[in-house]
Amino acid sequence: MAIAIERPRIVARRARRYRAQRGLAHVLTYLGLAAALVFFLGPFFWIVTTSLKGNEDFFAFPPVWIPAEPSLAHYVGLFTRSSGARYFTNSLVISSLSMIAALVVSLPTAYAIARWRFGGGLLSVFLLVLRMLPAIALIIPIYIMYKMLGLTNSYLGLVAVYTVVYIPFAVWLLVGFLRDFPVEIEEAAMIDGCSRLRALIQVVVPIIAPGMAVVALFAFIATWNEFLFAVVLTGIETKTMMVLVTSFTSGGTDMFYGEASASVVLGVLPAFAVAFMLQRYLVKGLALGGTKG
Amino acid sequence: MRGWPIAVKRKQWEPLAFAAPSLALIALVILFPLAYSFYLSLQNFDLSVGSEYEFIGGKNYVEALFKDQRFLGSVWNTAVIIAPSLAVELLLGLGIALLLSRAVRGRPIITALLAIPAMVSPVMAAMAWRMMFGVKFGAINNLGRQLGLLDVYFDWFATPWLSIVSVVLVEVWHNTPFMMLVLLAGIQSIPQELYDAARADGATPWQRFWSITLPLLKFTMVVGVMIRLIDLTKLFGLIFVLTYGGPGSSTETVAFDTYLVGFKDFRMSYAAALSYVIVGGVLVLTLVFLWIQRIREARAA
Repeated sequence: MAIAIERPRIVARRARRYRAQRGLAHVLTYLGLAAALVFFLGPFFWIVTTSLKGNEDFFAFPPVWIPAEPSLAHYVGLFTRSSGARYFTNSLVISSLSMIAALVVSLPTAYAIARWRFGGGLLSVFLLVLRMLPAIALIIPIYIMYKMLGLTNSYLGLVAVYTVVYIPFAVWLLVGFLRDFPVEIEEAAMIDGCSRLRALIQVVVPIIAPGMAVVALFAFIATWNEFLFAVVLTGIETKTMMVLVTSFTSGGTDMFYGEASASVVLGVLPAFAVAFMLQRYLVKGLALGGTKG
Repeated sequence: MRGWPIAVKRKQWEPLAFAAPSLALIALVILFPLAYSFYLSLQNFDLSVGSEYEFIGGKNYVEALFKDQRFLGSVWNTAVIIAPSLAVELLLGLGIALLLSRAVRGRPIITALLAIPAMVSPVMAAMAWRMMFGVKFGAINNLGRQLGLLDVYFDWFATPWLSIVSVVLVEVWHNTPFMMLVLLAGIQSIPQELYDAARADGATPWQRFWSITLPLLKFTMVVGVMIRLIDLTKLFGLIFVLTYGGPGSSTETVAFDTYLVGFKDFRMSYAAALSYVIVGGVLVLTLVFLWIQRIREARAA
């Protein structure tokens, strides 16, 4: 009798404790993630609010965290006084051209590897080694060669380097997308009298377009972010946003915050856009097959 | 295949033709410059002296590996920055990945938000943090003073030791998200049945972590760390903006030192030799990485 009364009580107590533990674990999980979000996004929040502050807000104490009257004055200053418009355009043009060129050159190569196993495993290893190659090893000879050819301070010079440096990465990703594509569809097209190239352009490309968009976005962000080649090879007319932003460091630790923060906001915009568009591919793209399989 | 001789013949030149444009460009913009750079590294080409140079053999390499205290110091600095960065990125990344792998509402959006720092250029990350560290107007000093934790305007780059801590902090902020993404993918590929079975046998969450998650995540962790390690040997933009190698030369990394030799001192030949020493190091790391990959594939098969 006693047992019969005791049992449900114990069960109920256990269930309650279990639920409490689970509830606590849940709260801790969300607290941990909230802390991570504050740490990883806090700097962005601060940079955005700083770029909207008025000059007097910088000197205020207690500090102004969110400006009472947000103003775009620093953006206007950046675009007029610091030639920000020009350098932002440079970045856009150089990244877009490199992205398109890398894609056009890489697609047939990726196709040759995916369909004919061109180069065997050796080519894949070669491409991986190229991607691991430090840029510092290329910048010295390329700088001297460009000086001789008159290619420094030109769009063409920078676009050429970015395109080629990006080929290994683009080929690697595209091979993956092409392997998933059924051979039968292009074979059907070729039986109907299509040449390989036409089958590739008219049949394969439209279908793997989403994959190509992924590669294109990664190429865009990679060239947008590149700094070493940009700082050495560009001149006053061809500077990119990455080079512009470093010019604000000359004022020491208390440099002019307004335009500097505005330029950082513009410089990280593509990263925000791409992080959301490419969620599913972030790991693959960032690791370049390092995590595949 | 033997049935269609014409088709085979026609196909033979096609793969090469398809691959030719990119291979030609790689030869022109990567392989030829690399060869030219090796040639340069055996000369004494110094733009600050003049445009004439002569063959000096391996002298540059001897200087780099045995005499150049600044370069050898930069190797040490690079290691001192890499070791704590990798350790913290791995632990923090694992922690956040484990939190995300629990049944969390809004996981895709939280993951995408947390991934953003890894998509940002090192230069932009360093610039944002340099401003955060700012002595008078920086967020960190302002917050510290407002909360009463700091009573002076603190210079976060005052000493070599402090500078390295600050650089590591920014590097951790920048690349922990990468580690988190890699590890999260690894955790999610572990079959759920293993956990269900362990739970049925009465294993505590702690036991499940130590005997299921960690062993099955080992290779993913090694691969993630190797990728970060190879990338960290190229650390340049972050240093350029955050410390410019200072104070003194305490945060000069190998890539940054080579940049200074080449484009501040204009000792082109010597910079080429330094870059080849770096390539040698990276090549060794890459081969280790490929070897690990091969082991993993062999185990998976």
